[in-house]
Amino acid sequence: MEDKRLQGLIEEMWPRLKKKHLYPELPIPKIVKASAPAEEEGEGNEGVGLEMKEKQMTLNPAFISSMKDKMTEENLIEALIDHGITHYTFCPWDFQTHLMIYAEAKKVMGDKESAKQATNYFIDVIADTHCVKKRATEIPELHRHLKKRKVDQVIASLYQRIWGIDLGVSFSNSDGKGSEEVVRRLARIPYLDRSRWPESIRKFARSLKPLLVAEQKEKESRGGQGESNPQGEHDLGHYSYEEIDQGLRDYAQKTMGLSEFKEVVEDFSPELKERGYGIEGGMGRGRGAPVDADVLFYMKLSENYSIPLKKVPLEKSGKLHPHSHSPWEIGAPFQDIDIWTSFGKIMPGMTQVWKKKEGKGRGKIEGAPDCLIVIDSSGSMINPRKNLSYAVLGAACATNAYLRNGSKVAVYNFSDAPMGGRDIVDYTENREEIYRVLCRYFGGGTALDLEEIMPLIKGKKELDLFIITDMKITNLETLIGFFGKIKNRITAVHIGENPYAARFEKAVEKRKNINIFKVKKKEDIPHIVLGSIREYFDVTRKTGD
Amino acid sequence: MFDGKVRVVEKNGYQKQVMSIYRFINDRLYYNRPDIEIKGEPYNSTILFSLLTGLTGGKELIIGEPGLGKTTSAEFVCSLMYQFPLGVIWGSEVSGHPEQTEEKIIGRPDLGKLNRGEEDVVWTNFSQVPVKIVDEINRLPETKQSMILDGVDRGNWEYLNEMIINDEYCLFATANYQDGGTNTIIAPLVDRFDVIVESRYPGANLSFIIGKNRGKNHILRHPKYEKDLYRVLKSKVAYEKKIPKMEEICNAFGEHVRETAGVKPLKREDRDRIRAEMEGLDLDLDASAFTRMILSELSFCERYGQKRIVENCEEGCHYTGYLCRQIRNCASNRLPTSIKSFARGLAWFLGDSGIDIEHVTSVMPYTLSHRIQWKDEVLSQKERAKRDDPFQIFLAKEAVKAVLQRYREQSDHLKDALALGSKIFQGAPLEPPEGDHPIYAEIRKDIRYRMNHGERLGDADDPEPV
Amino acid sequence: MTQNPFEEFQSFQYRKTSFPLDRIVHTAEAVMDRIRLGYEKLLEEEAKELVWMVQYNTIIKAYEVAEKYIKEIDYSAEDIEDFCFALENTQRIPYLIPGPAGIYISALCNDAREEEIVLKLSELKTEINLIGFRLPKGKRLMVEGDTGDFTGIGIEGGELVVEGNSKNWTGAGMRSGKICVKKNIGLHTGEWMMGGEIHVGGRVRGLGNIVDGKVYEREKLVYPGKARYPNVYY
Repeated sequence: MEDKRLQGLIEEMWPRLKKKHLYPELPIPKIVKASAPAEEEGEGNEGVGLEMKEKQMTLNPAFISSMKDKMTEENLIEALIDHGITHYTFCPWDFQTHLMIYAEAKKVMGDKESAKQATNYFIDVIADTHCVKKRATEIPELHRHLKKRKVDQVIASLYQRIWGIDLGVSFSNSDGKGSEEVVRRLARIPYLDRSRWPESIRKFARSLKPLLVAEQKEKESRGGQGESNPQGEHDLGHYSYEEIDQGLRDYAQKTMGLSEFKEVVEDFSPELKERGYGIEGGMGRGRGAPVDADVLFYMKLSENYSIPLKKVPLEKSGKLHPHSHSPWEIGAPFQDIDIWTSFGKIMPGMTQVWKKKEGKGRGKIEGAPDCLIVIDSSGSMINPRKNLSYAVLGAACATNAYLRNGSKVAVYNFSDAPMGGRDIVDYTENREEIYRVLCRYFGGGTALDLEEIMPLIKGKKELDLFIITDMKITNLETLIGFFGKIKNRITAVHIGENPYAARFEKAVEKRKNINIFKVKKKEDIPHIVLGSIREYFDVTRKTGD
Repeated sequence: MFDGKVRVVEKNGYQKQVMSIYRFINDRLYYNRPDIEIKGEPYNSTILFSLLTGLTGGKELIIGEPGLGKTTSAEFVCSLMYQFPLGVIWGSEVSGHPEQTEEKIIGRPDLGKLNRGEEDVVWTNFSQVPVKIVDEINRLPETKQSMILDGVDRGNWEYLNEMIINDEYCLFATANYQDGGTNTIIAPLVDRFDVIVESRYPGANLSFIIGKNRGKNHILRHPKYEKDLYRVLKSKVAYEKKIPKMEEICNAFGEHVRETAGVKPLKREDRDRIRAEMEGLDLDLDASAFTRMILSELSFCERYGQKRIVENCEEGCHYTGYLCRQIRNCASNRLPTSIKSFARGLAWFLGDSGIDIEHVTSVMPYTLSHRIQWKDEVLSQKERAKRDDPFQIFLAKEAVKAVLQRYREQSDHLKDALALGSKIFQGAPLEPPEGDHPIYAEIRKDIRYRMNHGERLGDADDPEPV
Repeated sequence: MTQNPFEEFQSFQYRKTSFPLDRIVHTAEAVMDRIRLGYEKLLEEEAKELVWMVQYNTIIKAYEVAEKYIKEIDYSAEDIEDFCFALENTQRIPYLIPGPAGIYISALCNDAREEEIVLKLSELKTEINLIGFRLPKGKRLMVEGDTGDFTGIGIEGGELVVEGNSKNWTGAGMRSGKICVKKNIGLHTGEWMMGGEIHVGGRVRGLGNIVDGKVYEREKLVYPGKARYPNVYY
């Protein structure tokens, strides 16, 4: 009954609140009892007031009731919703920004838990400050009445200073000087300047570090039981799968650093798994599967470079058929006159002729062929699990291109193959399996074993080959000989300039089915490979449709 | 322009009438689920935008899988908004196929008179009735598509040196998704459509009911009035004289529908008054500033002066975070016209006293999606995203959402910059506004032009532009 | 008259309320600009070719120039810390030359109104040289993080606390006062030291030619003492 009344109140307020925040695309907040009753949160702790899961804000009636002597229900609800909306509309805005802030905090804090804490405080300070500056809000009133631990007191004192509103916070003499100094430092941070958030979070974390470390210790001494943030925790629950997908993709592209990506993903690994985010099944999801950060990195990064390919290429049949009418002119041939629309008259301006057009028909190739990716993981190549390997990235982009077109991909990853330094995955659509083999690194010598490759090629009518190597292959002549015999389309990417690459290039220069890409800067690889594949498959461009 | 004061729209109950038409179509004729929410109320975009097209005299392209009610939805809306029986609407439709000719679309010579050596034109129903439906427009050759859209743009239909002028009209065109068997609608033509909507699958349960209710067309049919209207349309009197006669029959049909179906279609004078009411609605400052912001993102290029489809973005451009980086072409001048017209229609329909940012953001994706040409990398990045809408509309919704986020952050600053621009434009010696977004660069450009040429322009006593 | 494209906004009045955060940030930015300008002028005068040799007279001269520019600025300890981080941001300050930068930071600390200054520099990638130069009596400078060469040289009675390590020539020529290095210290520690104390929480890699004063390693007095020789690696 009480919940219904509160829900009614929210429904009444919602249009006004939406207007105030310029109509965010959020569903109407709901009143839902929190799973853990407020009493369990500890004496005097009101529990979580607001939670946000996949854009759905939920308000805890127990929290609202516990605050009823301090604030009117309307003001309290408005403050909580203002806070929630501002997280959506300003900070963190998206998952990528959240990850970026966390990664910067981690650099200062060192450990995962306190980095998450620093991130949460920072995000809250930004959201509330933005809201207080830009909108008429009851957020200051809420802060005035919330119960405060040490860090909260410092944050509230910071608010007093940067908002210019008295929230009734003053420090006792014992630790007042230290706290004042922290507040002074925190107040200098340009919270509302999005472009400076990376440096701002570092400064924020640096200033708050001693207090956060102390709080963390206190929490550990209580057996890990901390008090919950009444304005809600900022975990991955805020984001939908799609937002997480997009966030990881953007973050991988922005950092371009494997180690940084890996560290952040591993820190969030339990939450990612809880959200059903493994990397099984090609879509990057699957409950219970371990999160392999390396594979995930190349997966997400390569998605930024993915290529649109036409699945069903059309080939012109060559036959002409009547397509449209055009006016007949004196001197024009008679055979195309359409007597029906000409009303039986031969008269310029009235008589019409059929305009003929070449027809289209479906060609032989239904979609793209399968692809065998041959990737070099010898010692002269970069270890993809340590540094960003553009070879793996290039191969990953090619993989995506073929899989998107319903084709299958096989991988032959080789170092010193005759000595066992190789890994093979047969034709499959399982992206994860392909990526795992692509990311495999042997780091030994470089020799191909053609006898192992042959079974992957034989029996395939249509097959593309994609080889990515630095060409420092000990049996390069054998490879050249092999390429000379087959008619499949081959995309060869070699890294750096060396005599072997030059030899290869010279040997196959007359073969039209082989496209070679020289890569002077490793950054060129994804672009060049993509461009090549695009030309490969863009049938419309080839046929001049 | 809207001055910030709340104006009370004079309501003649037309909103109620139009809403009852919406409900009637939704409940009895075109079963589908709501797919958009505006001001907290759910609507079906196909019916809503078709109604707005009819009200504003716009041009709508309805896309969808075959057999999902693209044409029928337009027919129902036209019948109830313009009081034409379905039989006449069917007889006025142009169906798209490669052999379609000008004679079947606009008019043909009067063969009897031609044999007597006289020249006279027999106009088609399509050119004479105000509601124009083109089925499968993408199957028409480009020349014919262009001919229809030209005619609808101007309201003029010409044949053999004769011309008729429609003083009221709207266009509904349907198209299947592009596949190998159909032509495309080329970009310059698609730009002429105000909005694009998808007629969607209604879901297994509603689809099942549709199969059961086959006789729903009869509600909007009336053989006598249909014959009467055909007679008027075929008659050899001047077009201007036919119009009052048609209206008379339409009114009688409208009365019949009101009596039998309980829904009151719109008369000509109703539509005129609605349009007059709409004219009184202006964009509020947020709606205007936001629209300017998105237009600037869709047209801005720092290096080359504006977006052009033949020019590519340069590496290292400062403005990489905006839509200009993601698209290939430049927004046309028809875009703001469509946005304003449909937002105005929506605001009127909802009974609001002005056009606010929610009206604008609601119509914007449907006015944008067919006009934006996204870069390949954007398409490939997002093609697998989870969505409910067709890809183009989904991308447009995402784009509007992203710009709205940016607008929220700097709405006050932007309005301030525009106000400053106005003051500088009027000669105040102030510094041009600063800001990172392309709109600020656009404001500065306008101001710079004014500053450089201001005196000459100001003193020349040039006539006010019309 | 040309159409005014902004006409509808003519009457828009943005109620620009003064927001304290904006004021604080703006003030801090303005101070930082002035500090940065002083540093750039110091470089212009003292490191024209972007080369600077650590010599007694170059240090004294650079310090005098630094003092000249600092005198005109009203700043706080937090501004000094911000400047240290700004030095690493090449977009904001194009050249970090460790010598003049250290002299400039020392001058800023010595001239600051606060008696106690805490610089949280643990995330700083560069170790700043010459920090604590001429720290006067009554001043306490705490550095969280590591410092570079010539830390605390010529201290004039002040107290310098380094929470991390410091490199070579620490406390060289110091006259009085105290240097506490919580972790390890490099070679030539206390070279030509005339007085005062150096306390090292970790290891002292090597002592310099000390004239007078005391050096403690893990609370144990190592100078004056029998077993220690200048720069002996032990």
